[in-house]
Amino acid sequence: MAENNNNNADSKLIGLLAQFDDPESLVAACNHAREAGYKKMDAYSPFPVHGIDPAIGIKRTILPLIVLAAALGAVVVGLGLQIYTNSSALDFLAPFPGYPFQISGKPVFSIPANIPVTFEIIVLTSAITTFLGMWILNRLPMFANPLHRISRFKRVTNDKFFLCLEAKDEKFNRAASETQLNKWGAVAIEEVRQDLTDNDLPKWIPTAAILGAIVLLLPPAAIFSQWGQTNRHPRLHVVPDMDWQHKFKTQTMAPNLANGLDEVDLMYADLRSARRPVDGAVAFGSLDIDSEMNFGIKQDFAHAISSRKSMRTLLVSATDDKTAESSSGDSPALAADATENIDQWVTTFPEGVEVNEKLLARGQQRFNIYCAACHGYAGQGNGLVNQKALALAANGDATWTAARSLHDADVKGDAKNPVGRIYDTITNGRGNMGPYRAQIPVEDRWAIVAYVRALQETGLKTPGVDAATDGEESAEKVDPDAKPKE
Amino acid sequence: MATTVDPQGLDNTYDDASQRTPLVLGGLDYQGVTETACGFWEAEKAPKIWWILLLMAMSLLGILGGLVNHLLMSGVGVWGNNNPAYWGWPIVNFVFWVGIGHAGTLISAILFLFRQNWRTSINRAAEAMTIFAVVCAGMFPGIHIGRVWVFYWLFPIPTEHLAMWPNFRSPLLWDVFAVSTYATVSLLFWYMGMVPDIATFRDRTKSRIGKFIYGLLSLGWTGSARNWHRYEIAYTLLAALATPLVLSVHTIVSFDFAVSQLPGWHTTIFPPYFVAGAIFSGFAMVVTLLVPARALFGLEKLITLRHLENMNKIIMATGLMVGTAYGIEFFIAWYSGVQVESYAFWNRAFGNYSWAYWIMISCNVVIPQLFWFKWCRTTTWFMVIVCIFVNIGMWFERFVITITSLCRDFLPSSWAYFTPTWVDIGMLVCSFGLFSTLFLLFCRFLPVIAMAEVKGIMPRDGHH
Ligand code: HEC
Repeated sequence: MAENNNNNADSKLIGLLAQFDDPESLVAACNHAREAGYKKMDAYSPFPVHGIDPAIGIKRTILPLIVLAAALGAVVVGLGLQIYTNSSALDFLAPFPGYPFQISGKPVFSIPANIPVTFEIIVLTSAITTFLGMWILNRLPMFANPLHRISRFKRVTNDKFFLCLEAKDEKFNRAASETQLNKWGAVAIEEVRQDLTDNDLPKWIPTAAILGAIVLLLPPAAIFSQWGQTNRHPRLHVVPDMDWQHKFKTQTMAPNLANGLDEVDLMYADLRSARRPVDGAVAFGSLDIDSEMNFGIKQDFAHAISSRKSMRTLLVSATDDKTAESSSGDSPALAADATENIDQWVTTFPEGVEVNEKLLARGQQRFNIYCAACHGYAGQGNGLVNQKALALAANGDATWTAARSLHDADVKGDAKNPVGRIYDTITNGRGNMGPYRAQIPVEDRWAIVAYVRALQETGLKTPGVDAATDGEESAEKVDPDAKPKE
Repeated sequence: MATTVDPQGLDNTYDDASQRTPLVLGGLDYQGVTETACGFWEAEKAPKIWWILLLMAMSLLGILGGLVNHLLMSGVGVWGNNNPAYWGWPIVNFVFWVGIGHAGTLISAILFLFRQNWRTSINRAAEAMTIFAVVCAGMFPGIHIGRVWVFYWLFPIPTEHLAMWPNFRSPLLWDVFAVSTYATVSLLFWYMGMVPDIATFRDRTKSRIGKFIYGLLSLGWTGSARNWHRYEIAYTLLAALATPLVLSVHTIVSFDFAVSQLPGWHTTIFPPYFVAGAIFSGFAMVVTLLVPARALFGLEKLITLRHLENMNKIIMATGLMVGTAYGIEFFIAWYSGVQVESYAFWNRAFGNYSWAYWIMISCNVVIPQLFWFKWCRTTTWFMVIVCIFVNIGMWFERFVITITSLCRDFLPSSWAYFTPTWVDIGMLVCSFGLFSTLFLLFCRFLPVIAMAEVKGIMPRDGHH
């Protein structure tokens, strides 16, 4: 008998290993063994030897069935994943809602378009199941196999064939089995022994495991130690993405505030990162030399405007007393405007504005957006903001000047409030009402003016609410706050 | 050593009807196969040429790393991609590499299902090549997405940040699934096939580290008949799964183009045409690699001339398929009567990219015709030259498809001529460094020949 590394008293006999030199003798020996009544045995070979399965009585594996089950499951998972993520059908199931892509009106779920991914998921799942299932059914990985301790057995992966009769088999008898194996043509026979003393883990493993666990716990510990803390530094930015770019943003004081304001590397003496327009420069689209169109002031009075250094300064309200006072120093024209000359306002719409239904519709729409909140849809001065603010003011929680009713005698009529003046009210504000020139372009301001005029001419009724067609409402008093029909 | 064997005695390319053509030469028995296959791995020192090649490959790999870093730091503007050719070389390279990555699985899965026993000597190396090619392929779309650090947006992973899912009706998403499934399944298939051979390494290695690593990787494999039984069934199952998979991958890659509506892309012939092209280029790459490898590692008795000749025949067959596809594209361009389609193809052949088109035609259609001659099929140095041409041609095929169509999109005012930058060129060249590094390391440290499978197809008495 050849060398056996662990053949001592502390070991247990597991079986007898017989070596054969070619696959035919192995298959023959297996057949003999089965005929002799052995059940617990296994053959070992460098490559699959065909015909050996029936010889040692191997039943067909159930692996294909497992894979089939996994594949069928994958169909459900694959389709389900796509229905869930690309529609909102399964939102109730998961914390993250689906995201239906609307593309050219195509259905969010359509089998043909969802087949490729389903197919790939089936293949992936089946392949992984095959791979893992095979190893699990084979009880691998198993590194502590007594067979690996037999040096002769090393040639099983090269050119030799082995048959192992296991000691657990009822038929097994140390001496008799050896005789039988010899009779069946074994070239060599060895005992397979399991070393019973060698079952402990190598000593370094527990230490290494503990050290490893500690090292792994450090990052989470570091993170949790910061739990609930406040930190004055900005958040750690792992990937800067496009947050910092080589450019100066508008409204910043300097190329880099971090350098401190005293540093000399500020771009310009005035600390701004962007230049202001040169005096007299007219920004694209902001040429405002038409006094009637842009200011609602008659041509004859235009000298009051054009005498200014920059047109833009005129945009400071001409009638706002405070503004007039503060700017009277550098702008005599403004001071003149402080005492309002009612004749300066245009009384008809300027040339470029044609009052028609389209303009009124536009005006109504803009009015509802910009003005109705305070003045109410019918211009009665009872918009929602106004109501709320008055309620607060009544409690002493706020101070509020009521928005005026546009039907007020003071606000109505060419004598007191020609169109040019309404235009100016929108542009520059009046009294406590703020200016809207920044929000509303010139054309729209005129459209609103036209609509305000229409409101005033028609009394409380909002144009568009036709009393005749609306039987029920016409019986009652028309609700001035009702939102006009679009 | 096998390298000293007279190659003349190793010619098994002549058919003798009276007997099966041997696939293992030199009278090798089981032990002989093991020793031949392990020869290069067992050598104490790798030959100088291996070191030189590795050094070259790793230098290229290093440059590739630098280029990718440059790209990530500066943005995709360092490439030539620009309006209208938003898909430039990165996508060309992707399709090129993923195509090459088709031969391995084809050899190991489809030829296995067809019981083509000659596959056994070459399948391992081909599978390895597949995986390394897929690694190169996967890199390109990976870095092409611009913001690599959010690459996981490609996958259906819930993110509060993005608050949306991938669009499962988009071919680009199908591509993500196809390529990652393909990479995973190829890896499993390759590794599973390797386990018995790694066990051979485990049982033969003398170094302690080797014993540990190969012992771990071979999972305690004993070659038990019960294990082999399940193993073989699992192998067949994987082959049966990998076969439709390998066909689906390049089909889906072709959908990236075919499902869009660009003239020259929007054709139903793309899936079969791309798959044929992939096999074509993949086999060419296998031949290109195996001819020097078998000489260097002394594997002439296992990777015989007959193996190479068979591959060359497949190259010629698939080359003809590709050629037919080119012809049919032109026929349909004319027959459809669609003006833009006709123009797209006229432009390919005679427009400002005609140079690329004719390189493609000569390399893919004309040159492989040499394989009609037996001398060309069986002369190793010559077939390598042909195969290199084939791979050049296949790169240009993808170039022609991607670039010519994009540069002539629907808006004539945006028509332009694509010019690559040095980063484009560098990345293509250096991707070969990545590929070669992996392949050279594989040859030295893992079983290049599927020994167990080769032994399985040898005549039963172990020798002839
Ligand atoms: C934030 C609330 C608010 C909004 C919005 C608002 N206004 Fe006024 N409006 C007022 C207040 C308050 C007054 C009274 C100002 C005063 O007398 O001090 C007023 C007064 C007026 C007057 C009378 C000015 C006068 O005394 O001649 C007109 C005309 C007017 N608004 C039109 C408009 C138009 C047109 C809009 C839409 C562009 C508008 N308002 C939007 C609050 C608002």
